[in-house]
Amino acid sequence: MSSQPAARPSADRRTSAIQKRVSILPKPSSMVIDPSVLIAQHAQLTGTHPITIGPNAVLHPHCKISSVQAPVVLGEGVVIYEKAKVGVGIGNADTESRRSSVVPSPGSRDSLRVDGTVLGRNVVIETSTVVEAAEIGEGSVVEVNAVIGQGCVIGRFCTISASSVLPPNTHLPDFTVVYGASERRIDYTTQARPELQEAKMMMHTKQIEIFKKLVPNNVTKWTS
Amino acid sequence: MAQSFPYTYYSCDCYDSKAATVAAKRASAQLQPEEDEEGRTFDPRNPRSNYSLYPLEHLLYCQDCQQVRCPRCVIEETLNWFCPSCLFEVPSSVVKSDGNRCTRNCYNCPVCTSPMNVSSLEDPNDPSTSGGPWILSCPYCRWSTLETRIEFEKHTAITAQLSRIANGGKPILTAKERDKDREKRMEQDKRKSRDILSGSEDSPTGDQQKSDEVPSHDELFSNLAAFYKSQLAAQTPSNPFSPHDINFSSPSSFSRIMNLYSTTTSKKQKREKPTPMRETASTLEGLTIHDPSTDAAAIERIRKDGWSSTLSPTQKLAQPNPNIRFSSELRPVAALLCTKRGKRCRNCRHILSKPESKITSTRYKIKLLALNHIPRLSLRALEPPAAPGTPAPPPFDYSALKSGIPQHFVLQLANPLFDPIRVTLATPSTTPGKVQSRVTILCPQFEVGANTDVWDDALSSSVSPVKSGGASSSIEAGKIWDRGRNWTSVVIEVVPGFLRDLLAKEGEGEELDEDEDVLEIPVFVRLQWEADVNAEERGLGDSMGKKGEREKREEAFWTVVGVGRIVRL
Repeated sequence: MSSQPAARPSADRRTSAIQKRVSILPKPSSMVIDPSVLIAQHAQLTGTHPITIGPNAVLHPHCKISSVQAPVVLGEGVVIYEKAKVGVGIGNADTESRRSSVVPSPGSRDSLRVDGTVLGRNVVIETSTVVEAAEIGEGSVVEVNAVIGQGCVIGRFCTISASSVLPPNTHLPDFTVVYGASERRIDYTTQARPELQEAKMMMHTKQIEIFKKLVPNNVTKWTS
Repeated sequence: MAQSFPYTYYSCDCYDSKAATVAAKRASAQLQPEEDEEGRTFDPRNPRSNYSLYPLEHLLYCQDCQQVRCPRCVIEETLNWFCPSCLFEVPSSVVKSDGNRCTRNCYNCPVCTSPMNVSSLEDPNDPSTSGGPWILSCPYCRWSTLETRIEFEKHTAITAQLSRIANGGKPILTAKERDKDREKRMEQDKRKSRDILSGSEDSPTGDQQKSDEVPSHDELFSNLAAFYKSQLAAQTPSNPFSPHDINFSSPSSFSRIMNLYSTTTSKKQKREKPTPMRETASTLEGLTIHDPSTDAAAIERIRKDGWSSTLSPTQKLAQPNPNIRFSSELRPVAALLCTKRGKRCRNCRHILSKPESKITSTRYKIKLLALNHIPRLSLRALEPPAAPGTPAPPPFDYSALKSGIPQHFVLQLANPLFDPIRVTLATPSTTPGKVQSRVTILCPQFEVGANTDVWDDALSSSVSPVKSGGASSSIEAGKIWDRGRNWTSVVIEVVPGFLRDLLAKEGEGEELDEDEDVLEIPVFVRLQWEADVNAEERGLGDSMGKKGEREKREEAFWTVVGVGRIVRL
């Protein structure tokens, strides 16, 4: 499964035009996808570097995982919502074409050294976010429309609240909450109570179960 | 004037008219000739006019006074109080007794001000029967009462529970308990001092420890209040001359009154001053002595926990006790109540707007808007029609008017009334201010049709005077530009003034003020129309008034039309 060249369904099985369009994009050279992963239709996995997806991860429609510049590893139970983009360099195309106002990241030549993006266990990436981080720790949540720059290292159980922008190479310790106009504080509540962390993880697994019931799975397209 | 060009502001003369009447009353002599007052043109640059100009949307209209009413000349009255968070109405008696905060479960985060949730602390592996201890937590910045070590037993009646728990989880005494406790300790103190006097040394360690801890804000207040109450009670009866004793039948005041009139005795026993009230002497009486060790402790704490443990001024000021310094002293802030308000005319007290009393409804019972009574003036640039074939010229730039080049604008009046009106416009030939622009209204007198049903116009196939399309009409003095069902437009010619002259004069101390380059035209609007006699008035004068009787109405007001900004050459 690991080094299959250009795994794609045969042409006669494809029905919609959108799938055809997707298949034009360069395919990852190697993809390791756990059989329990839920990849919805219209989710895009592109790039030439390897992509690894752990068990019970959920990729919603129209999310984009790009390994064009560096490999991507999604841990167990990661949920990526619609229109979210994960992968080094994925925000750049955007930055140049649409959002010229966003502070430009240091030249993309420098960023090539980055080792890729690793999302830990039960990380939630919400709608319309751009995640180019190097690492996001277990149980962290990146809320709607947030932008996380290249090389960021985010600890466990962090919350990046909606529309926050983290500049490249930011390091956040565990339990950090980024809110408002880039204000930060430590979430002592979750830090002090392991049972709250556990409850949060339980809710997360329950949510994934529901996703599996509701969202049609298209994982065969990527594994076969 | 942040509104984009072109704009129209309506002047409410509530202040000027009042000032004028006051002046007239005060000086029956002719201070100002009447004519001067009448002939004065409105100056939009006058500092006072800043407060009388409003967009049409902000104005109300009093049907009895037949005048525009601005926010300055309406009276607001509170109809009811409600919590914006839980949308429950709070009776005004409760507001008076408990203050203007929600007494339910509505709390705002002391860190980021977003509304807080009640959430459970239940351990998923060891579920409790009640659903576990509860906390208030902020869904945005994740602050929770757990950080100040407050947990609740129930998820309801948070206010009552919170008032009993201090930060750190210690219980707060109620007022009654506090009083009892204070009395008990006072008693102890008395006994102790007696013991010291008698020489028997008691070990004071236990009490010492108790008095060491700094009393809370509430505790201090109640101690002080109790102390002064007791002092007042102790003084009043002993002092017959106290100003509190206003009982005319009492012998003391009687003698005092007699003293006032008898010249001989008055000087002798004049006014023994009331003995000054004793100040507080102990912690139990509300005395706080500043302890430098608390400062040292605070500094030590900042050193240990860092800057993030301190509070920002905004966070402090939102707190019930604004003198706290550290994040561990934060309390959840109860939601502030909101009001629903009605508006009345300041002159005749008639209701101008009244919302429905139901909290969840956003509709109004009464709403008399100026929009429905006053014609709307709007201005736009008149551009020469593009020759066919050529690309359309770029849109007119209102913020770059060229000095000295005549420019035509179309001023349009839309009539919201159900009767046709006759309009007379007037404007000073040069605009007030340092940059003088010449303004000419080509057709100052015209009629505007009634605001009839939209379909009336379309269905009536009779030859209407409405011209179709403005392109064919020419710019001609004395003729309107275009006309529709309930609107008429006329042409204004504007020659923007020169900024350059002023710049040359700048050396002589004449400087261009801010916004001096904005071209604003004061326009005086006078309306005349015939309307049905008001329903109320008809009812009043039933004997003489017949149905369908019509009366002449007249209305006049100043408006200011902001045309644009004159660009520097």
